[in-house]
Amino acid sequence: MSLPKVVVKDVSVTFEGQGRPVMALDRISLEVGTGEFVCVVGPSGCGKSTLLRVVAGLVRQSAGDVHIAAARPGTPLTAMVFQEHALLPWRTVLDNVTFGLENRGVLRAPREARAKEMLALVGLTKFARHYPHQLSGGMKQRVGIARALANDPEVLLMDEPLAALDAQTRTIMQEEFLRIWADLGKTVLYVTHSIEEAILLGDRIALLTARPGRVKQIFPVNLGRPRGLEARASPDFGTLVEKIWAELRDEVVRASAEDAAPGDGV
Amino acid sequence: MTLAVPFALLAAWELASWLGVLSPRYFPPPTVIAATLAQLLVEGALLSEALITLTRLAAAFVLAAAPAVALGLAMGLWRPVRGVVEPYIVMLYPLPKIALLPLLLILMGVGEKAFVVTGAITAFFQIVISTVGGVQSIDPRLIEVGRNYGAGGTALFRKIILPAALPAIFTGLRLGLGLALITVVAVEFVTAKNGLGHLVFRSWQMLLTPQMFAAFVLIGLIGLALTRGLRALQRRALAWKPEVGWL
Amino acid sequence: MRRPAARGWESAIAIGSPLLLLAAWEAASAVGLLRAQFFPRPTTIARHFGELLADGSLPRHAGTTLVRLAWAFLLAAVPGVAVGLAMGISRRVRDGLDPLFAVIYPIPSVLFLPLLSFVLKPADAALAVTGAITSFFLIAYTTMTGVQQIDRTVLEAATHFGARRGRLFIKVLLPGTLPFIFTGLRLGLGLALIVVIAVEMVSAQHGLGALLWLSWGLLKVEDMYAALAAIALLGGPLLWALALVRARLLPWLPDVADA
Repeated sequence: MSLPKVVVKDVSVTFEGQGRPVMALDRISLEVGTGEFVCVVGPSGCGKSTLLRVVAGLVRQSAGDVHIAAARPGTPLTAMVFQEHALLPWRTVLDNVTFGLENRGVLRAPREARAKEMLALVGLTKFARHYPHQLSGGMKQRVGIARALANDPEVLLMDEPLAALDAQTRTIMQEEFLRIWADLGKTVLYVTHSIEEAILLGDRIALLTARPGRVKQIFPVNLGRPRGLEARASPDFGTLVEKIWAELRDEVVRASAEDAAPGDGV
Repeated sequence: MTLAVPFALLAAWELASWLGVLSPRYFPPPTVIAATLAQLLVEGALLSEALITLTRLAAAFVLAAAPAVALGLAMGLWRPVRGVVEPYIVMLYPLPKIALLPLLLILMGVGEKAFVVTGAITAFFQIVISTVGGVQSIDPRLIEVGRNYGAGGTALFRKIILPAALPAIFTGLRLGLGLALITVVAVEFVTAKNGLGHLVFRSWQMLLTPQMFAAFVLIGLIGLALTRGLRALQRRALAWKPEVGWL
Repeated sequence: MRRPAARGWESAIAIGSPLLLLAAWEAASAVGLLRAQFFPRPTTIARHFGELLADGSLPRHAGTTLVRLAWAFLLAAVPGVAVGLAMGISRRVRDGLDPLFAVIYPIPSVLFLPLLSFVLKPADAALAVTGAITSFFLIAYTTMTGVQQIDRTVLEAATHFGARRGRLFIKVLLPGTLPFIFTGLRLGLGLALIVVIAVEMVSAQHGLGALLWLSWGLLKVEDMYAALAAIALLGGPLLWALALVRARLLPWLPDVADA
């Protein structure tokens, strides 16, 4: 087992809610190995996105530690791919992809070259000079991925990147992810609602409890690599789906009960 | 744009005026108005008045625009600034700014300064309000992108906040200009000795109705040109955001 | 997400800083830094305001203005909403009226006073209608936008579940448009007030705008300030009242925080 790349240790996050504080994560611990693809699933509101943001340094944890092993000083620790692409609408596709590099002071020529490489990887070379509003949802999402990859982060963070797409586009994109990841071998922490997607893409799956989020159970995925969409047909796939769903179900029920009649305090 | 309805109305007016159904003294036929307009334009009198009004408008707008955008941004970015300034805006917003004219006349004497400042104040409020709204409605995800991809401090402001708020700022500037025009013309109507607004007033008092209507039409055309022109400019400048409001 | 301490601060500053300014003004006037004949002390102004209230002149002027405003607002609101709905529902109506409106809307309202004074003999009528004009267009356009932004799928669903014509209008279209109608009414009320005051300044003998202008002309500065204060105090409560009505009629909407 390779050295852990990301170590999340006993992290708790509490938000100031409408008057009462809300605990989003409760002493959660998780490790991601170098080059590993770890998927995080859980019911709505369990704090999966918050976890990602803590790793990204966008949210400060109230307690606990996050450590990312930096193998290459000078490269950014994380780059996030957002659910609703979050592209800057006033920049062209190319300028969006170079954004991270631009902020790090990389000169125009090398950063545009790298951006074009990434665009080729996601198949959007022809759209370099387009504006986001001219692209479809799937294409915008691919730009988001290119942007993250162009930044060459130590860890790739993905926050339900395919949730806003229709099922067909989503399947195509899942295939893309498998291909790109096989190529680049990045460490990935991937949040998703879909068990099937998590199993298809991941090496391990971390199942979170309902709010406040903790790791309920970790499921290894034994589907072998390289992997393609046909993995969905394998019997192991179906068994794993049922196994995870059995555990997830309780949490989902617990989460919706909590939403309907929120308890007081934490 | 189908011009059928306005055309029909003008034709009806023309007819009614000639027939005396509409008193031609008070409502000269559109053709007479058009002729007067052309004549006055050629003579130059109308143009010089228009120029005076436009100069006041430009001065008012320039006076208001930069400080208003700056204040709006400051209010949007920093809570304390907003906390201090907002009560004044809330209190003064419902006040018709033209009511400040007498006060300004006392402060600055009867003259250009008071006229321009009254217009500037109206524009100022609008631009501030639009700008604050623009900053506050920035998609928080875009801020996250900025932070996650290494844009901090001034870079975040320059590369994310400013461009994201720009459409609202632009709209505010557009609306502010329109309001400034209305205020300047109203001030001219009420108290100035020159300008298009005053021309309307003077023509009214002297019952020179063709001239009054001609000035009227010119003001309408200027207003239309400004609003339409600025909307087109906004659409071009912000090509990445094709939809612009109807105002 | 505000901590109680921070909110306390904000309220303190919101009330405190205007008070501080008034106090500074008071001091400056008393000491002579500000010419008392042009900038009387706030306490003097307040006293004079009280006097004008007591002897009935201020309430009379305010009443005149309010009556004109009420008329202007009604004349703008009722046809405005009606025309706006028509323009929103029927493309033909919109195409027909749009060019006409687009030309008239940018013209400063006060300029219509001469025109209207020719047509409407009682001076008050001319003043009220002038106040109504730009408001009318604003309300009509905002209402039209309100109709246009109704989610087409909601209309489809409603029709599918049996709502036609009249019922569709009353139960779906109207409630869906109401938020925009109210925004239009709010803006229209503010605009009508502005124009009414402006036309009073130009050509009325009674009303707050007239008081403001005439007292300035006679350099009766204290009257002028009293009028200004009265005008300022007028706008706030009116808009607040409108907000109350809105909250009652549209409980399903979150509060609109207007600046």
